Amino acid sequence: MAKRPDTPARKPLSGPVLHILLVLADGAKHGYAIKQEVERRTEGAIRLGPGTLYEAVERLEDGGLIEEATLAEPENGQQAQRRYYRLTAHGWEILTSELRQLSQLVEGARANPRLRKGLA
Amino acid sequence: MTPFSAHLYRLLRAVYPADFRRRYGHDMQRIFAADLERARAGGLMAVLSFWWQILGDLAASGWRQRAAQCRRVLRTNRGTPQLPRQKRRTEMDTLLQDLRYARRQFVRRPGFTAIAVISLALAIGGNSLIYGIIDGFVFHPFPYPDPDRLVAVGATFPRLSSETRYVEVLSPAEYEDIRTNRAFSSTAAFDLGNRNISGGNAPERVITALLLDDLFPVVAMKPVLGRGFTPEELGPNGPPVAIISHRLWQTRFGGDPAILTRPILVGGAAKSIVGVMPPGLLLIGTDLWLPWGGDTSAMPRDSRQFTILARLRGEASLGQANAELSALAERLDRAHGSEFKEYAGWRLTATPWAAALFQDLRPAAFMLMGAVGFVLLIACANVTNLFLARSTMRQRELAVRLALGAGRRRLAQQLLTESLLVGLAGAAAGLLLVLAGLRSADALIPAQFQLLDLHATVSTRVLLWSLALALGSGVLVGLLPAIQATRADPHESLKADGRSGGAAVGHRLRQVLVVAEIALSVVLLLGAGLMMTSFVRILRLDPGFDPRGVLTMRLTLPRETYGSEEATTRFFQRLVDDVRNIPSVTGAAVANQFPPSAPFTGQIEVEGAQASVSGATLPTAGTSIVSRGYFQTLRTPMLAGRMFDGRDRPGTQPTVVVNSAFVNRFLDGRPAIGARLRLAGRDGSNPWSEIIGIVADARNSGMTAPVRPEIFLPMETGRTAWNQLHLLVRSDRPAAALLPDVRRALAAIDPQQPVYNIQTLEEAMAVSSFQQRLSAVLLGTFAGVALLLAAIGIYGVMSYMVSARTQEMGVRLAIGAQRGAVMWLVLKQVLGLSLAGLTIGVGLLLAASRSLEGLLFGVRATDPLTIAVTAAVLGAVSLCAAWAPAARASRVDPVGALRYE
Repeated sequence: MAKRPDTPARKPLSGPVLHILLVLADGAKHGYAIKQEVERRTEGAIRLGPGTLYEAVERLEDGGLIEEATLAEPENGQQAQRRYYRLTAHGWEILTSELRQLSQLVEGARANPRLRKGLA
Repeated sequence: MTPFSAHLYRLLRAVYPADFRRRYGHDMQRIFAADLERARAGGLMAVLSFWWQILGDLAASGWRQRAAQCRRVLRTNRGTPQLPRQKRRTEMDTLLQDLRYARRQFVRRPGFTAIAVISLALAIGGNSLIYGIIDGFVFHPFPYPDPDRLVAVGATFPRLSSETRYVEVLSPAEYEDIRTNRAFSSTAAFDLGNRNISGGNAPERVITALLLDDLFPVVAMKPVLGRGFTPEELGPNGPPVAIISHRLWQTRFGGDPAILTRPILVGGAAKSIVGVMPPGLLLIGTDLWLPWGGDTSAMPRDSRQFTILARLRGEASLGQANAELSALAERLDRAHGSEFKEYAGWRLTATPWAAALFQDLRPAAFMLMGAVGFVLLIACANVTNLFLARSTMRQRELAVRLALGAGRRRLAQQLLTESLLVGLAGAAAGLLLVLAGLRSADALIPAQFQLLDLHATVSTRVLLWSLALALGSGVLVGLLPAIQATRADPHESLKADGRSGGAAVGHRLRQVLVVAEIALSVVLLLGAGLMMTSFVRILRLDPGFDPRGVLTMRLTLPRETYGSEEATTRFFQRLVDDVRNIPSVTGAAVANQFPPSAPFTGQIEVEGAQASVSGATLPTAGTSIVSRGYFQTLRTPMLAGRMFDGRDRPGTQPTVVVNSAFVNRFLDGRPAIGARLRLAGRDGSNPWSEIIGIVADARNSGMTAPVRPEIFLPMETGRTAWNQLHLLVRSDRPAAALLPDVRRALAAIDPQQPVYNIQTLEEAMAVSSFQQRLSAVLLGTFAGVALLLAAIGIYGVMSYMVSARTQEMGVRLAIGAQRGAVMWLVLKQVLGLSLAGLTIGVGLLLAASRSLEGLLFGVRATDPLTIAVTAAVLGAVSLCAAWAPAARASRVDPVGALRYE
């Protein structure tokens, strides 16, 4: 199962997965914080139920993109028993390569005069 | 509430594979709880949409996880021989297979499915609706945490009355004694009152609790803003402070976050607001809390105007609290019994607060739950009949599967899956009914509850109730067909063509079910008939006054502005005179109370009455203070003497009018006019009043209770000045048209004076019979539905019987039987079933008659007329239901039937 999806031909990341990675790029967070932050950033367009969230977390953990963080000092002091997640080096790699691909896609689209108006 | 939802979600998480649950289950639970908390703040729709999302989430991600699990299992097992494949089939796979098969079965027979689902939807929806209403009003009316640990302390004084009362029954001295109860962790006492709030827009009248102690620890809630009262504020002559309700904060102050810095004018005096109660916390409808503020040590032991609430300590039980209370009652009787005679044999009882407030409603609540439960049983019997009929038709299919090696258990499981699916679909459709019903439930609720701000909602408990009913009825409906189908011998079924011995057993079973349906319908019909009779009897009662066209409202003059008794009397006199001058008004008066509910009583002493009456405790009588024109306005007939008039002025000989119940009870045949009585004072200092008139009895303790002896004192003499009176206006114009004129007349005297409790006399009467009306309406509806379901059941069984006996009918007709005789053959059987059902139903009702009698008025549970009408209705309905099958039997073509054989 621990197949590393780092081959150039890997599938693009799904919406929820990409958003979770983006949120974790700002630092380690626990599950509920991830969920809330994703919902805030997408203005509620992406809603992560507990099942969907941990399904994605499982896939990312098994794929080696994120890992559990052992925070010495939890954010609010009393929430020590919560599990925090952070990006692994591999996760950073995948995220940046994904973002690169996306921005290439957008650049390509911008070069198309028929689409330029809609993207402005 | 929370543990329920959390538990439910924990159960639902079973859709995920075990390793996923082990890994993330705890965190998921935490997110679930946090989100639920947020949704709760958004109200009912938010909670429903939250659950909808959670179910969607469970379905989608659960499905993907299970699919991934299957792929993993297949991958690891790749390359092994195909043989163990059957072993690898998990319970889940079996269930999925059963579900798919059930779906195919239902799609193939949409008519059958629709009837089964709709029957259960009506019945489960009806049950959940009634449960929701009763739960919201009787079982869990308040938002307090651990509501069963919050108790009220009630008192029973056998010397005065046999009932146990909880509201305004104990004195500060008694409260001090009760506080020492070791089973209580915190206690509070409050006195209910009314206060005018002014300043800002319009003056307003609010129900006020005057507290002896901080109530927040007792109800276990925290103020939403600010704090509770400090001991210093609660002490004698504390600073002027107030706590307001969330409702008042929102409606009057627009939810101003800076409310704690704004003073509020209560009865003209400025008070600073120190706290806002949390939403939903309305103690008997109170919007304002004030410290009681007086010195309680000076109050006599029998000034009983306080309601006492307490919270049970940690592990202490209600029994412990009650044991200490009864010991205390005995102790107080020994210590003070010589001075306070009412202590003889008195009892103190602690009861959960909701039960204490709504004790009167419980019998009716349980009766309604039972009645609607019967409807569900009938619907289940009907759907069972459908399933039985279908499984008879499917006998061949089942026999083939058995013959091919399917286990009997597996077949039974398949049939149960089908019925459970029908049950769940029924519950889901029923929930729509609940949502629609709860919206209109408020319309059935009388004003006394609207004031308390109670609402029925689709709570988690209601959802769980629906789920339990769905599963229960699914099992109930599927059990008999499953047992019957798997008992069948495949050899017999395959040999015969469906009309085998097994079918005969099934038919007998179905007849038993129809008899059960009829019996349950009979119970409901009888109950509805008795309730309707009670309600009609109440409506037909002569109230002793004419309630049509009388508008009532209440006024309370603040003592700050109307300090003296003369000022109060002058105000009300002018108000009555001005209102009388409004066009179309034919009568106006003020009174401290009016029928059908006149709760104020006083102890009275009749001159020359026998010592036995006046010896120990003085008798009580209703004590009404009324203005001139009161009896004309209510149209209460005068039986003897005169009404109050210009002769009853301050400084003249005190006069009083009594009702005829008073004359019968206290005057022992002596001439009433000219006899004298007086209100009991502490030292017998009140002057004697002369009886100048006798009025007919008007229902003064509710429409269904006997009339209480009552005395009427003239307001105009000013001896008994009350600052809180009701205005009664009789007019032939509708109340809505009259009200603005009355308000104008009032504003011309004092623009700062609010009126409240505006209602017509007929509305006031409807409140006092609402329980019977509500029961009659609901039971009537249930009985109608039950009868319809029973008719469908009769039709189904008879149709089946006719088609199963077509040949027999053909033979009978061929050898010369009359068509009428063949019809009678079918109808006779129906009448037999109905008679059996009627007998059992009447028996059931008689067995329950003792518990029913308390809800009835003017009719016995064994009323022969009601039973006769029920039998007639039932007979007519069964004959109608059986007519079509019977007619079909009589039209059988003998030649065709015989040729088929």
